[in-house]
Amino acid sequence: MKSIRKIDAIPKLNGSWKFLDDYSYEGMIHGQLLYSTCHHGFIRKVTFPEGYDLSEFTMVYAEDILGENIVPEPVCDQPYMADKEVFHFGQVIMGIAHPNRKLLREFISNTSIEYKELPAITDIKECLENEDNVFGRKLTIDHRTGKKPDPNWVHHHKIYYTPHQEQAYLEPQGMIAIWQPKDKIMFVRANCQCPFFVKEGVEAIMGNKIKEAVIETSEGIGGAFGGKEDFPSLLAGITSLLSYKSGKPVKIVLDRSDDIQITTKRHPARIEINSWTDPETKKIMKINIDYRLDTGAYQTLSPVVLARGVLHAISGYSIPSAFIRGRLFRSNTPSNGAFRGFGAPQGFAAMEAHIDKIAVDLKMNPYEFRKINIFKIGDEFPTTQPIIENNLSDCLERVIEKSDYLNKLKEFKEWNKSHKDKKGIGISIGYHGGGYTGNGEKILNSEVKVVIEKDAIVKIYVSNTDMGQGAHTTLAQMFFEAIDHPLEKCRVQLPNTSKTPNSGPTVASRTIYIIGNLLRKFALKIKDEFGFENLENFVTSNQNKFPHEFRMKFVQDPSVVFDDENYVGVAYKDYSWAACVTEIYFHADTYQIELTKSCSVMDIGKVVNQKIATGQAEGGILQGLAYGLCEFFYKPGYGRMHGFTDYALPTTMDIPEIDVEFIHTDSLIAKGLGEIPMDFPAPSIRNAFYNATGVFIDEYPLVPERILRNLNVNKHC
Amino acid sequence: MLDINCQYKSVEVSGKKEINMKFYKPKSLLELFETSEKIEGKKYFLAGGTDINVQIKNGMIKDEPIIFLNHLTELKNILQSDNHIIIGALTSFSEILESELLKNKLPFFQNSLKNFASPLIQTTATIGGNIANGSPTADIVPLLLILDAKLKLFSKSKLREVPISEFYLGYKKFILKRNEIIGAVLIPENAETGYETFYKKIGSRKALYIAKLAIAGLKKISNNKIEEIKLAVGSLNEYPRRLFKVEEYLKNKLVNEIDFADVEHFLQKEITPITDLRSDKEYRYRVCINLIRTFLNQ
Repeated sequence: MKSIRKIDAIPKLNGSWKFLDDYSYEGMIHGQLLYSTCHHGFIRKVTFPEGYDLSEFTMVYAEDILGENIVPEPVCDQPYMADKEVFHFGQVIMGIAHPNRKLLREFISNTSIEYKELPAITDIKECLENEDNVFGRKLTIDHRTGKKPDPNWVHHHKIYYTPHQEQAYLEPQGMIAIWQPKDKIMFVRANCQCPFFVKEGVEAIMGNKIKEAVIETSEGIGGAFGGKEDFPSLLAGITSLLSYKSGKPVKIVLDRSDDIQITTKRHPARIEINSWTDPETKKIMKINIDYRLDTGAYQTLSPVVLARGVLHAISGYSIPSAFIRGRLFRSNTPSNGAFRGFGAPQGFAAMEAHIDKIAVDLKMNPYEFRKINIFKIGDEFPTTQPIIENNLSDCLERVIEKSDYLNKLKEFKEWNKSHKDKKGIGISIGYHGGGYTGNGEKILNSEVKVVIEKDAIVKIYVSNTDMGQGAHTTLAQMFFEAIDHPLEKCRVQLPNTSKTPNSGPTVASRTIYIIGNLLRKFALKIKDEFGFENLENFVTSNQNKFPHEFRMKFVQDPSVVFDDENYVGVAYKDYSWAACVTEIYFHADTYQIELTKSCSVMDIGKVVNQKIATGQAEGGILQGLAYGLCEFFYKPGYGRMHGFTDYALPTTMDIPEIDVEFIHTDSLIAKGLGEIPMDFPAPSIRNAFYNATGVFIDEYPLVPERILRNLNVNKHC
Repeated sequence: MLDINCQYKSVEVSGKKEINMKFYKPKSLLELFETSEKIEGKKYFLAGGTDINVQIKNGMIKDEPIIFLNHLTELKNILQSDNHIIIGALTSFSEILESELLKNKLPFFQNSLKNFASPLIQTTATIGGNIANGSPTADIVPLLLILDAKLKLFSKSKLREVPISEFYLGYKKFILKRNEIIGAVLIPENAETGYETFYKKIGSRKALYIAKLAIAGLKKISNNKIEEIKLAVGSLNEYPRRLFKVEEYLKNKLVNEIDFADVEHFLQKEITPITDLRSDKEYRYRVCINLIRTFLNQ
């Protein structure tokens, strides 16, 4: 629980750590992407502006690709660059490089592309409502009992929509590629989450022209949130190709507006729920969930998002008969990708709202109704994975108590009678399975390396990146605290694919949960093998044994058995749990929701570093609240947002009082924390608004324009 | 005389494609007018630069000459003269927010600007720039409209004053003549004295946003009768506007006798809300009505 200062705090404050754009190499030139402004069509002609000496430019097209024109992804269907046909706005057509960055930007903005336009799907609802757009893998979780619904059961049918969300990392995407012809090595300095994904990306585009791609991250990575999981593979590929062709180091840093428009976003979703509730017992007896994601033009990693989506779609309720179907829908927009939560926030958005709707119709308060239906020991997930702890229920009970929910419910009801403005209070719950889904961690087969030097300095080698979330500090802490070694003797090495073993990508709330716990075990194992009490003393008196290199692999718990075909079994070994209560103030004149307080209780197991964990939780909760409240990326008739002037992130002024408490911290295991704060808070706003006004809104975000439209429909309120 | 040496070649590549932007930094007001007269065609006066710099970066301004104003300290001041508060056009928003004189004389005006942009932009952006930029959403203009502010316009040989309500002619169109600039803003010192005041700026969040709409109001009510009312709105027309017709209708009415159907009738003649990326027509209209109603009833 020690709040050790982040190892990157000082170098980031004094500016000594370099972010991608701070690196420069001799002879380096600048690259940019020329991308499609057409949603679907054939490329007829590319016209460059006059007055430029084309010999100064390096240009790469699809036909220059030396390997395969397919980005390695869970589903390999996305080309690095369009060949003759473009399938979405933002699809890369060329990489262009020039020594002068500003001139290059001018050149590209004045380059025109002529298309033969073809029909395109650009609207979210147009995509998700039409079954003709279904493609790729379909997932089904079938946990039906076969019993017919009792005619007395109360049926609810609702369709929920969630929008795109922009990761809004501080540092835009960027890459530097340096071709080293002598060794046939492509060295890439990467701003990414997953150096080994980037390595695959570069090796795929370069084919057998190179011996190896070596990826090293920049010292500082200014945020990622999933946005730097797969897009960097494409970017690194094209940057490498430019470096190969020009023979010079090439740097590409995306402009913010390009970054916002063409990189991956959270998948918009349409989730349709049919539920049947027994009015006597207040138990939900049967549920059907149809879960749809707008993937954009290509599948890429969407099937994996879909998997996590369907596995979290039922939220935390035990329902005897459940049928969940997940499908991907194609549109002519850039591929959507990873974003903190990874399919789970969409499911909670629907199910947590649905629960409040049923509760209100049954004339119960939403807490009482949740209490009856929430997971308890002995229940099971729709995949038949048994529920072995009551920690979700503990989170709910604690947050209800802490937020004084029941009293406020009464108090607000009374206050609202005599005021035009309204106060509301809403609950939501959520959870997140740690690590890769199902057998994923077994397949990943992560490895870590530790070197102990003669001066008892311990160097930790992992491929997991620290993108500001404090992973390297926390990982070091887990190793050192296990054997009581001083932190200042710690060095977490900069991830480099030729030096660090593949400990997997920095995704899926797995870094601390999988790699951190592995390092802790590893430290204890080294201690056991050498039989020391104090490592420093041991190294001093056994100098001949050092430096010493150790390697250790992750071994999945044998209880994790998952049938990937039928979606039956243990999808995740450990879940983090959470519950939240949010209070709002609704301004009747302006239809604005003001967040006044948000109280969350989370079980993430052992808290390694209280300060870092609290920061992660508060940041994620805010990102989650903003998802439900104000962030919108696409407006029908106006298209995608271009920058932060229009894409409304909350400012510090908009942040309510956020209260976070961790419970069950005496656990031995540090569970996943990265994503869960994003999963659960948003629905609490919608539920609070429903509580305040009696108006139920089926779509995020709850911007005032949408509220006004809904109030007009619900005139009685 | 002229300091045209600050000509700056932004890009130079093998002499094949040059992008030249000329920047001028006149040493005095007089020099400013001389410089300005010598430049034919389109040019930009750069005060705080919080908008023009963005336009340059985005390539929206490419070749036009830029004349710096911000160093001309003679236009940077807040003072009292006779019965007016005079704010120099180059006074920054943070200077306005920190002014003791404004705190004493025009506290409503000052407080209403706390929400302007962000502290960073407040230190740079100027009152003159906010007006002359001509944005329909300019934050300061609805306030100046209800305070019956006048603009002092400077040219080489002439000074003239115009009420701010007559300054705008259309979207980014002004009554400014060629080589004429806004020199100062004049606000009657008692412009808000004795009035009940109202200001709301509505956006997508609480700070650092462009207004979806803004509304400013002053009223004097005695014995339930509206003796005086001044209303102005931003982001609802091609430029911020006084709602003279609505005011005329409301004046001398008893508050409880106001027919809001009539208010809407007159309002519709004075505002033309649009749907855009930021908000919707219906929303802008409905919120405007709601806020007027709240202001009259409060």
